[in-house]
Amino acid sequence: MLRLAAVGDVHVGADSVGHLREGFATLAEQADVLLLAGDLTKRGELGEADVLAGELRDLPVPIVAVLGNHDHESDQQRVLTQRLLDVGVRVLEGSATVLEIAGVRLGIAGGKGFAGGFVGACATAFGEREMKVFANASMLTAAAMESALGSLDTDVRVLLMHYAPIRGTLHGESPELYPLLGSYLFAELADRCGVDLIVHGHAHGGTEKGATPRGIPVRNVAQPVLRRPYAVYGVEPGRHASQQADRRADAPVG
Amino acid sequence: MSTEADPFLAEHIHEALARDERVNAPELRVTVEHGFVHVDGVVATEDRKRAIAEVIDEGWHELTLDNRTTVADFPPDGRIEVV
Repeated sequence: MLRLAAVGDVHVGADSVGHLREGFATLAEQADVLLLAGDLTKRGELGEADVLAGELRDLPVPIVAVLGNHDHESDQQRVLTQRLLDVGVRVLEGSATVLEIAGVRLGIAGGKGFAGGFVGACATAFGEREMKVFANASMLTAAAMESALGSLDTDVRVLLMHYAPIRGTLHGESPELYPLLGSYLFAELADRCGVDLIVHGHAHGGTEKGATPRGIPVRNVAQPVLRRPYAVYGVEPGRHASQQADRRADAPVG
Repeated sequence: MSTEADPFLAEHIHEALARDERVNAPELRVTVEHGFVHVDGVVATEDRKRAIAEVIDEGWHELTLDNRTTVADFPPDGRIEVV
């Protein structure tokens, strides 16, 4: 069984040197890999990127991260990404990576994701240019994420994002905010492709546990939700393969 | 002193707490009622919790701050959930 530690929304700043690292003190005993679900910094400034890199440098497990909306605030996301790469963190944006852990191949696809809403209350790419740009952003992001996921032929597949893919993990947030907190497109693509686990952050007032319509577990790992340094999820290889077999059995004949 | 809830003012304060570089926390919940501004949520550091008071005092000194925010300093619990 793979043990995946995950946390998001840690909001590292110049005023938080050492905070994150202190929480990771026993990480190696508890997990095989660390997933970071975005909003890693307060406002995505270069000084914050340096603090974050220092917190993550030489941690004893592989780290895979996506950025969040806070990390884009200063429009320095490329530099922030490079600082993370420099200390060995794999950063995903509509891309995927593969780790081999104790003979098990773990594939992680991911990216920031975006807003747009959920079935019955969604933005549509219609009308003003601004509305089209907003709605299309989710569609383009989802298409890249699906392509990345489709590239993974691994024993375990995980979708890592910042924005939420389902309403279920938003319970506790104001319902008026839901369209700004995520998009159903990401749950739809996960159900279509088959994954073992979806991890996201962003919704500080939400709940940890939910599932897609096809039953894929979704976990909101925003630290204010977890109220612990990180969560650890155990994943047995092969779940998504059986999901795909189920889907083939469900498919109409002819 | 107002005795009624003021949702528009609450939203202006929410916006200020999102934009101010000392705080940058759009995730905080803000309500204004009976001359009090209630702020709730989790912030990463004590400095940011203190900065909430500075932002309110600079922009809305006529309000009394009820700062209910929690500083993220959570202990590990060793749990593992098999999914």
